Amino acid sequence: MSKVKVTVIDYGMGNIWSVVNALKYLECDVVVSSEPAVIEDSEILILPGVGSFRKAMESLRELRLDEAIIESVQGDENKILGICLGMQLLGSRSSEDGETLGLNLIPASVEEFLVNDVGTNKIPHIGFDQVTSQAEAKLFQGLPESPDFYFVHSFRMLPTGLTGVSATCRYGIEFLAAYEKDNIFSTQFHPEKSQTNGLMLLRNFLAV
Amino acid sequence: MLSRNFRLQNVGDLEWLKKNYDFSHISYSIDELVVLDVTRGEKNLEDFCDSLKLLTDGCFVPIAAGGGVNQIESARMLLRSGADKVVVNSGLYANNGFVKELASEFGQQCVVGSMDIKSSADGQYQAWSENGMKCESGPANYWIERIVSDSVGEIYLNSMDRDGTGQGFDLGLLDLLPDRVSKPVILAGGAGNANHLSEGLGDSRVDAVATANLFNFVGNGLMEARKSLVTNGIVLPMWDVQLLERHLSAARVNGDKAD
Repeated sequence: MSKVKVTVIDYGMGNIWSVVNALKYLECDVVVSSEPAVIEDSEILILPGVGSFRKAMESLRELRLDEAIIESVQGDENKILGICLGMQLLGSRSSEDGETLGLNLIPASVEEFLVNDVGTNKIPHIGFDQVTSQAEAKLFQGLPESPDFYFVHSFRMLPTGLTGVSATCRYGIEFLAAYEKDNIFSTQFHPEKSQTNGLMLLRNFLAV
Repeated sequence: MLSRNFRLQNVGDLEWLKKNYDFSHISYSIDELVVLDVTRGEKNLEDFCDSLKLLTDGCFVPIAAGGGVNQIESARMLLRSGADKVVVNSGLYANNGFVKELASEFGQQCVVGSMDIKSSADGQYQAWSENGMKCESGPANYWIERIVSDSVGEIYLNSMDRDGTGQGFDLGLLDLLPDRVSKPVILAGGAGNANHLSEGLGDSRVDAVATANLFNFVGNGLMEARKSLVTNGIVLPMWDVQLLERHLSAARVNGDKAD
């Protein structure tokens, strides 16, 4: 079997090395790119992310990657996995660091965890936490029940009224942990930081 | 690779570490790795980043890295070399908005505020910076309170008195914290066995415990410590190390049949 070619979108803010490290472990042929043309033509895209939503969207726009991503996944041939901030960027909007519009590939908005919702839990939500996945979720095939994944975030999306919820997590309130619909996939947690569970999930994404 | 045991003993370089420890396997016993460049004086960030890449190859846990981080660009380099978070120590004390700038660039969750605390002759705690060389004036609780309310995502409290001794954490550090800290607190310095780790985690003010001692100096200590914590009812994720391998070999078998 020839190597699976994966493009990791580089917009200056992701934990690029970690993601590349995991993909190489899975024997992928990894391309790290900030070229719109490369991204438009890539069959498998990963949008990583650590940082603030507003800054990230500004970077994507500046590099004209926002249009390239949308263009790339418009048909059904190419697929994308957004990770952490990368998932949030696929959302419709966020209130982080001022109101900012997202790529709108997931019809959900991004809001900060409310103190009232999380109760005695601390914000940001940091550490390994168990998620509840849907039985048919493609990303979670072969994984144990209530698998642990690594989270680090202060903002979240909610699963309410959303089609494509593949897993949720509870942190005072139930929030969206993973999403999959057609060719759009995303996780609020970091699969590249979640030991074998994460590697397995990445492999599932590549195999879809 | 320096351990912090008894004033920085040099325990071996990266090759030594790779040879003596199957690090990617050991990483299944930890939930996060903290890698610090503790070189005194001039640090070479590029070399450190290269070591970080080598060390974290095949290691799939969150990694916090630091040592002398006082510029946005050095933080960015670490984050591009395997780090998920940057550890800031001396940079916390300068009143120049550096921590805020870091947080606004990479997000607050990306900044770990690391404080070295030592008790002075009169029994009062004080904060030290610059690799423990410079004493920050004023009581430690003043600095802790200030830094907790700055734009750090987590606070890492290290006892310089206990660091490397293996005699257990200094839980007295926790009394220096403001009443209700809304950020995760990591306690470090002094853990020498599983009971110490358990003691630290048993305090409601502690969210995580760190150890360098067990990992560096006691054969299988870390794995055994983790097992013992879980047996004693502390909730930690347990990993099925073979999960992926099993799946891949099953897929290979099926693939062969299909051919």
